[in-house]
Amino acid sequence: MMWLKQLFSRRRLYSDLSEEIREHLEEKIEDLVAGGMNRKEAAAAARREFGNVSLTEESSREVWRWPPIDDLLLDVRYALRILRKSPTFTLTVMLTLAIGIGGNTAMFTLIRAVLLKPLEYPDPDRLVSLSLKDFRQNKRDGSFTLKRLDELRASSESFNAIGAFLKLPENISFSGRSQPEALVGARVSANFLDILNVNPLLGRSFLEEEDAPGAPPVAMISASLWRRRFQGDPQVVGKTATLNATPHTIIGVLPENFAFPFVGTDIWFARPAEWSVIPPGARPHVTILNGFARLKVQVSLQQAQAELDVVNRQYEVANPGRLDAGPGVSLQVASLKDQFVANVRSTLWILFGAVGFILLIACANVAGLLVARANFRLREFAVRAALGAAGGRLVRQLLVESLMLAVAGGSIGLLLAKYALYAVRHFAALQLPRIGEIRLDGMVLGFTVAVTVATGILFGLFPSLQVSRRDLTVELRESGAGAEGGASARARILGIHARGVLVVGQISLSIVLLIGAVLLIKSFARLRSVDPGFQSSNLLTMKITLPPTRYDTGQKKSAFFANLVQRLYLVPGVRNATAAMSLPTTKGWLGTNVLVEGQPIVDGGKQPTARLQSTTPGYFRTLGIPLRRGREFTARDNSPDARPVVIINESFAQRFWPAYPLGQDPVGQHMREGIDKTDWVEIVGIVADVHEEGLTADPVPEFYVPSVVHPPQTAYLVVRTQGDPQIFVNALRSQVLAIDQDEPVSDVRTMDEVLEATLGQRRLTTVLLGSFAGVALLLAVLGMYGVVAYSVAQRTQEVGIRRALGAQQADILQLVLNQGLAVALAGVGIGVGAAFALTRLMKNLLFRVSATDPATFVTIALLFMFVALLASVVPAWRALRVDPMVALRYE
Amino acid sequence: MKTREQRDLFPGALEMMILRTLKRQALHGYALAQHIKRTSNDLLQIEEGSLYPALQRLLKEELVKAEWGVSSTNRRVRIYKLTAAGVKHLEHEVSRFEKMLEGITRVLAPGES
Repeated sequence: MMWLKQLFSRRRLYSDLSEEIREHLEEKIEDLVAGGMNRKEAAAAARREFGNVSLTEESSREVWRWPPIDDLLLDVRYALRILRKSPTFTLTVMLTLAIGIGGNTAMFTLIRAVLLKPLEYPDPDRLVSLSLKDFRQNKRDGSFTLKRLDELRASSESFNAIGAFLKLPENISFSGRSQPEALVGARVSANFLDILNVNPLLGRSFLEEEDAPGAPPVAMISASLWRRRFQGDPQVVGKTATLNATPHTIIGVLPENFAFPFVGTDIWFARPAEWSVIPPGARPHVTILNGFARLKVQVSLQQAQAELDVVNRQYEVANPGRLDAGPGVSLQVASLKDQFVANVRSTLWILFGAVGFILLIACANVAGLLVARANFRLREFAVRAALGAAGGRLVRQLLVESLMLAVAGGSIGLLLAKYALYAVRHFAALQLPRIGEIRLDGMVLGFTVAVTVATGILFGLFPSLQVSRRDLTVELRESGAGAEGGASARARILGIHARGVLVVGQISLSIVLLIGAVLLIKSFARLRSVDPGFQSSNLLTMKITLPPTRYDTGQKKSAFFANLVQRLYLVPGVRNATAAMSLPTTKGWLGTNVLVEGQPIVDGGKQPTARLQSTTPGYFRTLGIPLRRGREFTARDNSPDARPVVIINESFAQRFWPAYPLGQDPVGQHMREGIDKTDWVEIVGIVADVHEEGLTADPVPEFYVPSVVHPPQTAYLVVRTQGDPQIFVNALRSQVLAIDQDEPVSDVRTMDEVLEATLGQRRLTTVLLGSFAGVALLLAVLGMYGVVAYSVAQRTQEVGIRRALGAQQADILQLVLNQGLAVALAGVGIGVGAAFALTRLMKNLLFRVSATDPATFVTIALLFMFVALLASVVPAWRALRVDPMVALRYE
Repeated sequence: MKTREQRDLFPGALEMMILRTLKRQALHGYALAQHIKRTSNDLLQIEEGSLYPALQRLLKEELVKAEWGVSSTNRRVRIYKLTAAGVKHLEHEVSRFEKMLEGITRVLAPGES
């Protein structure tokens, strides 16, 4: 640390030295004068004997210097001065880099938090998900029946414990304290915290016996609910809370940000299969449970998979004909983390790739600017070289300058990333798992620093190499009027060449981004143009969950909804109203076995399935689903003693009457739900298909029953209004409260919003990639313009001579345009080739668009050529206006 | 940048002479220069200025220390003094020099057969 102390005390050292030398000379002069010399001669003699004063001072000071640091400080100071002198350039470069580095920092943070970092549970590598896949039909979502999961527990030995959770979050009404509130609830097996190896913040976890039917009602709550509704009461354990109208004992509080199995869960219940939507008798047989487990320490993932394969075959043999035992059904074990992030993995990587491209393009742009600047600064370098600066020193100077630009850009970029991440965390449409784990931490900072330094070196290298390769003395000798006139012919070609390469790179990267973005935009447009099968405008929807304790019979449930719908019709401005078990476009597969009269009962997994929807009369009228044949449900169909009837959709009709719409009319035929039900039900109508499972999924066979047949515990009100649906929210809510004071209404959305939400992530990806591509295009155009304009400026004289020698305007135009187009052509060629190879990576983000969609490729290539032409036309036009005489006198 | 004297004398010679002179008595720069010139009978052509880089080197290595004071002619001068480390260093250098000189002398001695 000596040198550090010296670094700071040097100023004094230096002034001491100067004073000492001054005194020395004076003393000498006085001695000589005393010896008889006159003062003038004495001064000269003293200096002669002393030697070169400034050189002496210089070499004396040098003793104290610590060269690497000193030179660097000098370079930095010089760079600061240079950069301050051209603020526009500096600012442009800094902002360009800030966008590039900021984007990469933000995306890296996301990738790291969501995809790379292990789950934040102890020993996360051993946490696995278990799923039941069916390779014959993609319908299976991986979930288990309770029965199958119990059998798996009994037969497999690879796991410490197997847990389960209900695959969908539930709406739980929380009442009793102030106003009723709808919370997100999860149902989990009692062992879930043991498997995750997490301890509750307060109280205890579920006990094994609390998983058994009939156990006393208990619940765990989230830390945020604890603070919000219980004011962080340390005595909360043991208190009761009224959840779904049933008093539950609170047994524990989970740690802060605990987000298993769903982000934002506030309430946890045991007994995962007790889903209020499913009638109790059916629960063991419905696939509603997601499995997860902790691998035993000595068991690898492969070994576990091998064991599951055996277990699955044994199950198949023992249970022939079971739906989940058919050929093609397999048990899969995978890392729990992978399962969690499966829906966003490819999106995040693609966006990360895109910001990487943006950074490269930004680097190329900045390098282009720097090369141009280096050309303008050749005289400066030549002078410095003449004054003794070594070539290495000049290169280092340039690198210091670019690194400083990079660091400035990186700092702003970090700030940008911070705000971008803040936005991401509060943007629900992203549907990002592990959102609570997104943090700008040391690792991210390290990444940013590395990217910044790499960036600085990358774009600083071009001009440095260029300078170091040149014979700078030529510049001095040649020096003409303008600074750039000094560039030798050879160097000029070199300069264009380097920038040309940069621009080719830029164009090809932008092409890849642009093609990717256009493919996404096209997919999105195709998706938006999919007819959902109903009229979504002017529809208001809301969710109501009836507490099973107070609404314990089907009759009570269906009476509530029938009553409610009737009251809604009385609200002025309400044109139609209905209640249904699910909202179209939102739910996954909710199928059940069906049997059509006259068709044989097929073995096992081959038994046909169809989707069930339970509605009050008026559903089709309210949603605007066209009736193809027969009739809709009437109020009579929905009365308890009515003869049961069913309405099918056209996919259903085609599935069982392949000749439909010709041939035998399905209306008037009979079908039954399940195989064992004895009652045949008459088909009374056929309606058009609806995209029940989202716009990307094809319609499936579906049948509708009146809500009295399947009274839902949770139902959605759908109301068609006159004018803006939003203004009806309070009127409708008060109708609900008028029937039941304790009934919370949740998820109040217009149907357009519901549709929009299903597109949210896709829309965001499209918008992001689209804007990335826009930025890339802009940068590429600027780079291209810069190259052509620069070369035109340098060739002013040449153009003048050509004009003087009789070249036509067209010849000059061609000369300039050719250059721009050559660069563009090279860039477009490489870009299209790269896009061809890369877009297939985004296949599963596309919808009804091929990853190598020829129209897109051709359009973008042509667009780029056109843009390149435009970017060349402006400088070309300037070249045309060159007055031959001026050009000849130039320099 | 190397100074001329270092090329003419062997490296460290000037420093050694300075240390030797300062061992006898503390001096300021001018007096030091005069003393070395006088005692070498002007045989060594040394620019007075070349003293200062050498003094800075010795200061940096803490072989000498300097203090501002007033000279006999009532000038403000910087007086250099040998430190303990300087004394030791001088001894070491002198013995090294003597060995070297002995070696050189032997090589240069004529007619040894």
